[in-house]
Amino acid sequence: MAKQTRSSQQPALPLNRRGFLSLGLGASLIFALEACGGTSTTGAAGSGGAGGGTITWAWQLPTTWDPVTSSAGSDVQMLALVYDPLTALDAQGNAVPWLAESWRYDKSGRRVTFTLRPGLTFSDGTPIDATAVAKSIERGRTADGSLIAPQMTTIAKVTASGKRDVVLDLAEVDYQYPLLFAGKTGMVVNPAAFEKDAAALATQPAGSGPFAVTKYIQNDHASMTKNDSFFLAEEIKVSAFELYPQADPATAVAAVQSGQYNLGRLSGAQVQQAKDAGLEVQVIDSMYVAVLDVHSGMAPFDDPAVVEALKFAIDREKIKEVANFGVGDVNYQPFPPGYVGYAESLADAYAYDPERARRLLSDAGYTAPVPVVLTDSGLSSAVIELIQAQLDGVGFDVTIETIPRTQATQLVYIEHSRALTYDGFAGRESPVQAFQVLFGAEGLMNPGRETDPDLEAQLTKVKQTPTDDPDYPALLQKATEIAVRAFPNTFLYLVPNIIARQGVSELPALPSLRRFEGVKVS
Amino acid sequence: MRTSTRAQGRRPALPAALTALWRIPSARVALLVLAGIAFLAVFGEALAPHDPIKQYTDEVLQGPSAAHLLGTDYVGRDVLSRLMAGTRLSVLGAVEAVLIGAALGVPTGLASVWLGPRLEWISLRISDTLVILPFTVFAIAVAGTLGNGLQQAMIAVGVLISPTFYRITRSVALGLRKAQYVEAAELMGATEWWTLRTHIWSKVLPNVAVTSAQATGSALLVVASLSFLGLGVTPPAPTWGGMLSADLGYLAQQPWAPIFPVALMMATVGSLNLLADAIRDVTGAAPRRRRRRRRGISHVPAPRKEQHDVVPV
Repeated sequence: MAKQTRSSQQPALPLNRRGFLSLGLGASLIFALEACGGTSTTGAAGSGGAGGGTITWAWQLPTTWDPVTSSAGSDVQMLALVYDPLTALDAQGNAVPWLAESWRYDKSGRRVTFTLRPGLTFSDGTPIDATAVAKSIERGRTADGSLIAPQMTTIAKVTASGKRDVVLDLAEVDYQYPLLFAGKTGMVVNPAAFEKDAAALATQPAGSGPFAVTKYIQNDHASMTKNDSFFLAEEIKVSAFELYPQADPATAVAAVQSGQYNLGRLSGAQVQQAKDAGLEVQVIDSMYVAVLDVHSGMAPFDDPAVVEALKFAIDREKIKEVANFGVGDVNYQPFPPGYVGYAESLADAYAYDPERARRLLSDAGYTAPVPVVLTDSGLSSAVIELIQAQLDGVGFDVTIETIPRTQATQLVYIEHSRALTYDGFAGRESPVQAFQVLFGAEGLMNPGRETDPDLEAQLTKVKQTPTDDPDYPALLQKATEIAVRAFPNTFLYLVPNIIARQGVSELPALPSLRRFEGVKVS
Repeated sequence: MRTSTRAQGRRPALPAALTALWRIPSARVALLVLAGIAFLAVFGEALAPHDPIKQYTDEVLQGPSAAHLLGTDYVGRDVLSRLMAGTRLSVLGAVEAVLIGAALGVPTGLASVWLGPRLEWISLRISDTLVILPFTVFAIAVAGTLGNGLQQAMIAVGVLISPTFYRITRSVALGLRKAQYVEAAELMGATEWWTLRTHIWSKVLPNVAVTSAQATGSALLVVASLSFLGLGVTPPAPTWGGMLSADLGYLAQQPWAPIFPVALMMATVGSLNLLADAIRDVTGAAPRRRRRRRRGISHVPAPRKEQHDVVPV
């Protein structure tokens, strides 16, 4: 009888409620710990220099600490803290020596030799010789998953010649390598690290830059100490560097004012607030240009008249004034004024002309508003909503689609599934590389994957012309003009770096990279 | 027999309950506020002094003035008009989520008591599972999977609210399952459907009403949170949460701006909670122990004949 009673009370399934809850709680705890944990690495610092203070920079964390697999152009800013490229760019965008003290092309233009400075070492003390550099370049152009390989397709062979000469044999004439090697493509990774465990580079960088990572917590922060092996170590005046993601706009100024960070990144809306709070505000011109990625293979932008109307329909001055609080400059091309590729002929190429935009649409037969979905990955609500209103005003019917920033790369760059996306181009060290990204057949920001034979021919001329040749600027500017006229990408305005400083001296005003040589902390 | 059983199972009629509600001062305030919110939800956009999405780009981030009583936002839109027009989406989203929650939770709660141990076990485990899921995170996951829209987000929120309705309904139904008049009805051959409809539903309804009022307040905050995070409603459509989120980016220029949407949210949620308390007191849907401790309800006692089937919630 007792047995029957117990049997009748048993649940329909063997797990009772308490057991189920315990199981669920345990599983949730495991998932929560896994989700919150991220990846924390503590590496051996290259050194720990003498006192000098700490720069605490609220800027951005890189997608990875491996320059070969880095998927964001802006990663170069953070990677430059721990890696050295072979060359660097000066304020005008010309290649200047860095790890390589010089380079020379042979007469054919198909062989270039980079000569390294003497006595270079990685942060772990390993010498940087020609063999190490050759291995690093070879990995960049051949490793599985390399995102810099497409930029080095013209390299046929990389060899070390003696201790200090790295020789590139090229499949075709290409004078862009000294420029190209000023960015991620030229960053030298310690072969001892990638030959042992290349995957570990994602969280444990192994370079020779001004700092060495001692601790990295993914999505949280990176701690670095000064690398005394850095070839310009005497120029590094601080002993440590803390890198954080950009602060929330609502708290960015307060975070710097309170001392949480001593360098912070601001938007135009916070400039006055920062000045009122007694912070130093430094506006540094950059290569970053806001742009609308237009998919010419998707309606309605498969009609050139619609693309043309789009370019004239946007009041960039108004966007600059309202959304950016007057900071930055309107720009209709991918390069800023003063840069060698900047085409003066495009200075007012698509000045706001709503009447012309309306006329273009009506002449093309559009009598009803043209439906458009404008994709936003959360870069700027104000800009997006201003563009929507402006386009609606000339005959478009714009719907805003907001996608998580984490999905933007997949949806826009990989799937090419969005017709119109508000985006930003961070610039590239080599103008030809910039053209490849924006207008190349495999360009990330060329969603329609269209090509233009005139542009291809012009870029071939550019690559085959030495960068110090008097004809080089004109050839490059002609390429810019062809690209801007032929492609649907709609450039909007330049976005300078706005930096709030508290107890930190002025940063070098280079357009391409934020560098910290000579920067002091009081 | 039937007449007697039905009489035992009935709560006060709706007009009587409303009259009793109106006698409670806090309920009166709550009803007035909610009536105002409902009015804005229906007529807000039509009565707004400006087009809520019209941009006056030469008057960006202006303070209150005769032209714009609550000032303008970051692209020069009239804040008062956006608050008025945004009421509909903010409130309807919450109501929609609560309706989904009730539609899922109430029938399941009743079924778990009447339709056998297997369904009971399964429904309890599902309910346990849903209870541990955080609203906002789940809604973000659903929006990420099904697409970013108010409907998708509200389905997610509704699903997560449903265990509340399920448990409340189940708890009331469990108490009534063994009530003498229910057993008597079943002995006399009444069908389960007849019993549910005649004896159980009227007891469950007041509890569902209390839960709905409270859940609407919670859902409103979730809708606001999602809008705050940029999920649910597509810009430039105004919502209270979206306005609050945008205001936080311009605190240096307008430190007072978040007060307006926050005040509306607080008034609505507070009123819903007050109303829920009052409904519970009036309908007797509260535990007797708690009702005795509360002040100001002695003038609206539950009918004596009802006290035997008051079920804790």
